[in-house]
Amino acid sequence: MASEQDDRVSRSRYEREKAARKEAEALLEGKSRELFLANQRLSEHSEILERTVTERTSELRIALDKAEAASAMRARFIATMSHEIRTPLGGLLGMIDLMYGDETDPAKRELLEYAKTSGEALKRIVNDVLDFSKMEAGAFQFENEKVDIRALIGGVLALAAASMPGGESRLRSSISPTVPPIFAGDATRIRQVLANLVSNAGRYSTEGQIELRAFASPHEKGALLRVEIEDQGIGISAEQQKDLFKDFTQVPNKLTSAAQGTGLGLAISRRIIEGADGKIGVFSEPGVGSTFWFELPVEVLETTQPSKNNGKTKLREVKAQVEGARILLAEDNKINQKLLLTFLKRMNVNAELAENGRVAVEKFAPGKYDLVLMDVAMPEMDGLEATRIIRDSWPAEKIPPIVVLTAHVLDAIHEDSARVGIDRVLSKPITFGDLRDAISEELGAHDTPDHHTPRQFGSRPAIFVHLSNPILEGLIESMSENEVIALVEEFVIDARRLLAAITANLRRGEAEAAAAEAHALKGMSGLIGALGVSELAGQLEQSAAYLDADSIEEVIDALSGQIDKLDRALSSSTE
Amino acid sequence: MKGVVFVELLAMAEDAFGEDVVDTVIDKADLAHGGAYTAVGNYPCEELVKIVDAFSAHSGLSPELLQRKFGHWMMGFFGQHYPAFFENKSSSFEMLEAVDQEIHVEVLKLYPDAELPRFETDRTGEGQLEMVYSSPRPLVSFCHGLIEACVERFDETAEIAIETTPAQNNSTTFRIDITGR
Repeated sequence: MASEQDDRVSRSRYEREKAARKEAEALLEGKSRELFLANQRLSEHSEILERTVTERTSELRIALDKAEAASAMRARFIATMSHEIRTPLGGLLGMIDLMYGDETDPAKRELLEYAKTSGEALKRIVNDVLDFSKMEAGAFQFENEKVDIRALIGGVLALAAASMPGGESRLRSSISPTVPPIFAGDATRIRQVLANLVSNAGRYSTEGQIELRAFASPHEKGALLRVEIEDQGIGISAEQQKDLFKDFTQVPNKLTSAAQGTGLGLAISRRIIEGADGKIGVFSEPGVGSTFWFELPVEVLETTQPSKNNGKTKLREVKAQVEGARILLAEDNKINQKLLLTFLKRMNVNAELAENGRVAVEKFAPGKYDLVLMDVAMPEMDGLEATRIIRDSWPAEKIPPIVVLTAHVLDAIHEDSARVGIDRVLSKPITFGDLRDAISEELGAHDTPDHHTPRQFGSRPAIFVHLSNPILEGLIESMSENEVIALVEEFVIDARRLLAAITANLRRGEAEAAAAEAHALKGMSGLIGALGVSELAGQLEQSAAYLDADSIEEVIDALSGQIDKLDRALSSSTE
Repeated sequence: MKGVVFVELLAMAEDAFGEDVVDTVIDKADLAHGGAYTAVGNYPCEELVKIVDAFSAHSGLSPELLQRKFGHWMMGFFGQHYPAFFENKSSSFEMLEAVDQEIHVEVLKLYPDAELPRFETDRTGEGQLEMVYSSPRPLVSFCHGLIEACVERFDETAEIAIETTPAQNNSTTFRIDITGR
């Protein structure tokens, strides 16, 4: 071989290798350039990509913000609108009620009935929409308060009975002794669910019993409350049951042609119950009836009293803790004064009365009282102002608990109360039990009073039929029947006097003064359980500003009629 | 066609016939690049055929035989420079199946413009593989050599039958029958 003889390669081989290398180098250079350019394009591309992502993100954020703002605005608008509609609607319904009460022509009464049904349906819709919009806006909060389910059911059934043809005889309830007398929960929301289910039962059945049953079983949280509401109505097919608890759905109802509502009632109920970690459901058979039920785990605050004796011992303990307490009561209304002072006397409390906020401030001195009970609406100086002055004048540790009594809309008062430093707000009508519990708790007794299951009355004075049962029970807990009658007598006199003042003010066009008096009338009628008067007075309070002369006369006549009715019942009670 | 094939073909020729012979043959053959090839370049396939024909004329060996020999040579080259492709392969069939499915996939990543032949495989029975080679280039014998070398590499013996795929131009079927391992 050539290479073995001579280490040198041939000229042509050398030239070939040189050419090949040159080509390789050129290729390499080309590739490097390509690589560089590709890299550059890649960087540009990634930059554009990043910019696009940033732009898109900010666009999305803006769109989201807009959507959220629009949604919040819509929710606020709906809430505001619903709220605004409620007030005139209340007036409207009240007027219809009054007209209906006075109308004797059956044809006109029928028209008024239709008007009322439509109005009630509208009210329900507005309330549902308001609740629903609150839920949507996430503004739906659960209170944690003491719930007396027996009183609650009593109240719901009483209201339902009033609005349901033949209601009194159709509604029945049985509450098992296993149900704790007092548990922690949101009374308003539970009442709403109960009212919705009972009202549905009434709307989807024309006859037959509507039975409400409540019982409880042990649960890790305390007890599992189960409530069932059974009707013998048109029932719900399995197909319809699927969507029953969804938003805006309802079962077609052949029973009534009137407006049926929004289909939100059960959806709201479901949200309420599920929001409180409970369950809600239904068994139903078309043509046979439906049983709606819900289960709610509740924290038991007071267990069922095994025997009456225990209850009495407890009651005595509470009495001992409350007894001898020194309480300043600021209250301007004569009836309320009388009632609250009687309550306090029954508790063996040393009560001192102040006729208004100014007097209360003058009387108050550190160490002089163990507790202050303060009405809100009082002449010269209201309760909130008086509380503020007391709080400003003395160091906090020298001021005893201040409890406010009010018939006002709760939310607003709660806010004001917190601002001026009020320890507790009691809503009128206030029962003996409520007051005693509040006082004993605020005094640090932290003990719980006994709670009776609803009491059965034997032969009751005629007047009692006209008073709300739970309130009447509260009254009878602390007074004899005769004392209650005496109280109602006094109420009738006072109510007449107030009504005269309201009439005079309305005729003079002084709506604000009339509204204040109507508020007082509402408060005191609520206290003794004269709900008819209370309701009318409440409507008058809301609508005083825009009533025309005719309507004024009608409302006043209606109120007067209600008071007369009480008066007549009183005469037959005392005979 | 990738320059590496030309470079290796000349390397084989040098190994077989010596540098002087290669110089003479290349000078005589009328090659567009003057016989200067770099592994990273690209050259027309016709030049490869020309070179093979020139060596055939010089040595009296048939171009087919030279292509087969070159197939063996290239298999050795692949084994030496790309051992990764041979890892995890336990038989010649696995290797042959990987040509289209793995190796050419990798080749295209480096040379997106490479014009690669297709090798469709089908196991027709126990120890039997049908490999259909489709390419416009007249390199059937080169493929034959590659397959033979691949079988040997996995210490197997096989009978390889070659037939033109019916009704399909530029396509050849290799029937590989493993006879021992």
